[in-house]
Amino acid sequence: MLGFLLIMKAEIIRGWIITRRYWFRTLTGLIIGYGMLMILIAGFFYSQPAIEKGINQLDDPTRATNYILGFIIGLFAFGVIGMFTQGIQGMAQTGVLEQLCLSPYGLVTNFLARAVVASVTTIFYSALMVYFVVLSVGGKLYFDPVPVIVLLTLSFINLLGFGFMVGGLVLVFKQVGQLTIIVRMALFALAIFAREEFLQQGWLVSAFMHVLPITDASICLKYVLVSGQRVSSGEFMSVFFHPCFYWLCASCIIWTLIGISLFKIMENYSRYKGTLGIY
Amino acid sequence: MNNDDGKQDIQKYTVYLDAVSKTFHTSHFLYKEEETGKRSLIKKKEACAADRITFGIMPGEIMGLLGPNGAGKTTTVKMISGLVKPDSGTVYVNGMNVEKKRKQVLSQIGVVLEGTRTSIWPLTPLENLYYYGNLRNIRGKILKERTQQLIDFIGLTDKKDVEVRKLSRGQKQKLAICIALIADPKIILLDEPTTGLDVQSSRSIKDKVLELTRKYGRSVLVTTHDMHVAQELCDRIGIINKGKLITCRPTSELLELFSKQIFSLRLDRNLAEGDLDSLAPHITLLETVSAEDGSTITVQVPESYFERSEALYLLFETLRRKKYQLRSIQQKQVNLEYVFLQLTGEKPMLNGIHSEEQE
Ligand SMILES: Nc1ncnc2c1ncn2[C@@H]1O[C@H](COP(=O)(O)OP(=O)(O)O)[C@@H](O)[C@H]1O
Ligand SMILES: [Mg+2]
Repeated sequence: MLGFLLIMKAEIIRGWIITRRYWFRTLTGLIIGYGMLMILIAGFFYSQPAIEKGINQLDDPTRATNYILGFIIGLFAFGVIGMFTQGIQGMAQTGVLEQLCLSPYGLVTNFLARAVVASVTTIFYSALMVYFVVLSVGGKLYFDPVPVIVLLTLSFINLLGFGFMVGGLVLVFKQVGQLTIIVRMALFALAIFAREEFLQQGWLVSAFMHVLPITDASICLKYVLVSGQRVSSGEFMSVFFHPCFYWLCASCIIWTLIGISLFKIMENYSRYKGTLGIY
Repeated sequence: MNNDDGKQDIQKYTVYLDAVSKTFHTSHFLYKEEETGKRSLIKKKEACAADRITFGIMPGEIMGLLGPNGAGKTTTVKMISGLVKPDSGTVYVNGMNVEKKRKQVLSQIGVVLEGTRTSIWPLTPLENLYYYGNLRNIRGKILKERTQQLIDFIGLTDKKDVEVRKLSRGQKQKLAICIALIADPKIILLDEPTTGLDVQSSRSIKDKVLELTRKYGRSVLVTTHDMHVAQELCDRIGIINKGKLITCRPTSELLELFSKQIFSLRLDRNLAEGDLDSLAPHITLLETVSAEDGSTITVQVPESYFERSEALYLLFETLRRKKYQLRSIQQKQVNLEYVFLQLTGEKPMLNGIHSEEQE
């Protein structure tokens, strides 16, 4: 635990120094990110009429906000998994990975601490982004702090478990790193389009959706932030009674267990194969 | 191999490798053979990086691992630090099995692998040391003090606030050594610490390594492919080739092998077999090269002046008696490379001898 906190502290300081030292890059990054997102959203809505039937949907801000939120959850998922895939690859190349392995706290603790710090930053940027973008398209968000924080934490844990699994594979098979971009894109898309209607497509599709680490998280977050925890009849129902919330909890536990065990096995295998630091 | 010290002496060593072996297996997809151009879908290859390596490092000693590229030096260092798992055999650090007590072992060793890559480039040396200090549970006042000491010790004081990416190779290497020293380990493993550095950086790193052991009593393992580095730095040298530890003995002892004298003599005809047999063991015939107009023989004579004169006298005498005419004589100096090549069996004899034309 102490190790976890110490690593977190070191990571926060590192992040802060780099943000400050390269403040210009940070700032331009944010602005470009915002611009890109706006272009994406604009493009998305212009192509929407062709895909969907009625153009009138454009006038429905709830629907728009839904997608925007999806975008940002997607970006978040994209980032968290990326930390495990591209992140591990980069660290192997710079030799930092070997240094982490030489730290007596072990790789798992190191990665957990890193992930927490990285995602807090991402959540902060994402929140800023959500706020501006939603304002720009004239939508409205319902912000109920307790459910939002609980859901964000659970979404993060859910992604973390999945990230550990993918990360373990990258540790051993560095080439997998290139392929994981597909996985990340898929999660990204899923976060955008995930809707409860998806879950009514028969048990096979439904089961598959629940297994994926972003569907339930995305649905729950949209339910709170966009629908204001109201079911279709307009009645209030706390998200904590929503079936997807239980799926999310289960998914968290299972993915974390699978992810971390697999990561440890792969770490061991990678020590056997000597692939912790291949250049 | 000096392997008379049995297992009961493991405690005596700070690091002890007991018959450690490692073979890497790799698969290559869509492989194309270089010579034949033959293609295959999957080609499995294996590389032996360690073959029953056994040696120990004493407290306060600099031990060198000398070997060509691909000999298995880095792998050995990684096995000691637990980054690579041996196929068989055991590595002990301060009497603890590395595979079983990884955590404790890691807090007692400092490792520099590829030094220029260890540090985080957008940060300064000071920030790097704080960062890695935290990762190794060093914090607060101790961390501050130690960081300052290390930076002064290694000579980066005026660069401590410059981003690492702007530092030279040598300075990065020095920083990497500081990072390895941040937890104040008693055992330090340095993988090719001077490779690619200019003369001055290399010199100052060697001095610091010497200071670390002589003044602060650390045990150091240095790997290198540079014989001069090994000779200057190490108390003991292990020569490793293709994963095999060929010899492991005190540097002075090894250097005696280097101090042998070699002469090459041109004769008017081919040397008949057995003609010089009477001169053994004083003179060793290393090589005979025949040509149309005579032959050249290479002999090794004892190192001490008197014995050498005696041996040479006997040699000339014998040749004269057997009616050979001596056309010329050349003394050749043996260098480290020669002994190295001889021991590794890479390319025998004359390749490593450079002629120093002397009378
Ligand atoms: N992770 C690995 N996978 C496959 N082969 C490896 C790996 N690491 C090292 N090798 C092979 O093992 C041998 C020894 O490598 P290494 O220990 O790096 O040598 P050195 O450091 O002495 O140059 C080489 O043939 C190298 O190709
Ligand atoms: Mg090497």
